[in-house]
Amino acid sequence: MMTMMEANTAPVAEAGPAEALAAAALTLARRFAAGGTMWCVAPEWPSHGRHIAVEFIHPVIIGKRALPAMSIDSGGGAAALRLLVRRGDVLVVVSTAGNAAATDLLDRAEAWGLTRVWLGTGPRPAARRAEHVVWLEGSDPALAARSGDMVLLYHLLWELTHVVFEHPGLLEAPPGCAGEVCITCSDEGRVAEVRSLLEGGAVEVTIEGVVETVDATLVAPVAPGDLLLVHAGVALTTIGASP
Amino acid sequence: MSAEPTGFLYPFIEADERDSSGLLADLAVSAVAKMQESRSLRAATLERCHDAIAQAGLAMAERFAAGGRLFAFGNGGSATDADGTVHLFRVPPSGRPLPAMSLVDDRAVLTALSNDVGFELVFSRQLIAHAHDGDIAVGFSTSGDSINMLNAFEEADRRGLLTVGLCGYEGAAMAVSDAVHHCLVVKSDSVHRIQEAQAAVMLAVWSSVQRCLAGGREPR
Repeated sequence: MMTMMEANTAPVAEAGPAEALAAAALTLARRFAAGGTMWCVAPEWPSHGRHIAVEFIHPVIIGKRALPAMSIDSGGGAAALRLLVRRGDVLVVVSTAGNAAATDLLDRAEAWGLTRVWLGTGPRPAARRAEHVVWLEGSDPALAARSGDMVLLYHLLWELTHVVFEHPGLLEAPPGCAGEVCITCSDEGRVAEVRSLLEGGAVEVTIEGVVETVDATLVAPVAPGDLLLVHAGVALTTIGASP
Repeated sequence: MSAEPTGFLYPFIEADERDSSGLLADLAVSAVAKMQESRSLRAATLERCHDAIAQAGLAMAERFAAGGRLFAFGNGGSATDADGTVHLFRVPPSGRPLPAMSLVDDRAVLTALSNDVGFELVFSRQLIAHAHDGDIAVGFSTSGDSINMLNAFEEADRRGLLTVGLCGYEGAAMAVSDAVHHCLVVKSDSVHRIQEAQAAVMLAVWSSVQRCLAGGREPR
């Protein structure tokens, strides 16, 4: 393990996180411009979630607009967010790749129709659980969370988001793409969260923030809160159990 | 449209700008520059404050070894740094867990004191209730001028606490206050870069405390 001094001065490939931050900032500005709220959760380090929210809602630079951001403590986070979020909002998660509370929220957020920004440290996640993944690779998570590296990531996210606001022509997403969530328009199946059970193996689910009825006979029994993978109106598999 | 096609020189003032690729490239370049700026400032600050960090770490370790507790405080983003510091000491990635409390943790206390006695006393009143001779006060401020921070340091000093202050710019009032025994200044005028460097400084202080405690100063 590197000492802190080495960690702070060692040359690192910046291109990855810098480009990911740029893309995330463009999306974030577009979501804010469309009336979205940013929800912030950091299960392992709640202070980071609160820092992100205060950064956006109370800018340190006078004259920058206050943006709707709120941190939610991860205890009961899913239950609270399910009630609070609206399709088109943004979920920002700060965590390690393996944090179960974080990955559960990210999966549910897809069903709720949120755009997801995942700021992380330690080994990079194997599965793509967010539209924007900004990762501090090769760092000891416990140190990266406290060395200023993680704070730097979301400071930059704030700074770049406000630069995007200076480009009003780019604040509307290009036509032909409903936001940045193109991955879910594809053939791969869509993540659905079970709302309630209906008669005859049907269930009412939320998919991309919209309530639909799907056939769940292949994956029965299911319970409210379960996450299903749905293709053409049929639930093909269960991808998470209700917490 | 003039005969001279100069619009490409000023893409940013075009309300009908549609191609985001140029902006994305600019944003990434800006991010890289700021990452390097942040890293340089952190490295320079750790080097310049090396002795001050070691002295603060030793003094804090002596207090912890004698049974002292740490109280951390700050406003806004600095409040989250105070919370993060408490977490670092109490749930350390390595070494010994140490008693630390956040004075920004309890919203009932914060709003009660702000409403009834004033925000300028929101930390000092908590120190009056909790703190004893032998404890430690750690305060984060980017400006170094916040009145509730200065009041807290003065109260802590009066009560015999060891006081450690982290601030930015040139340190302002905190840097010249006798009530701040160890003042660690991040010399920058960017609030963001200051906070990033303060995190690195606090991690170094924590690391120093752990090294001192591992060096044989056991709690009695």
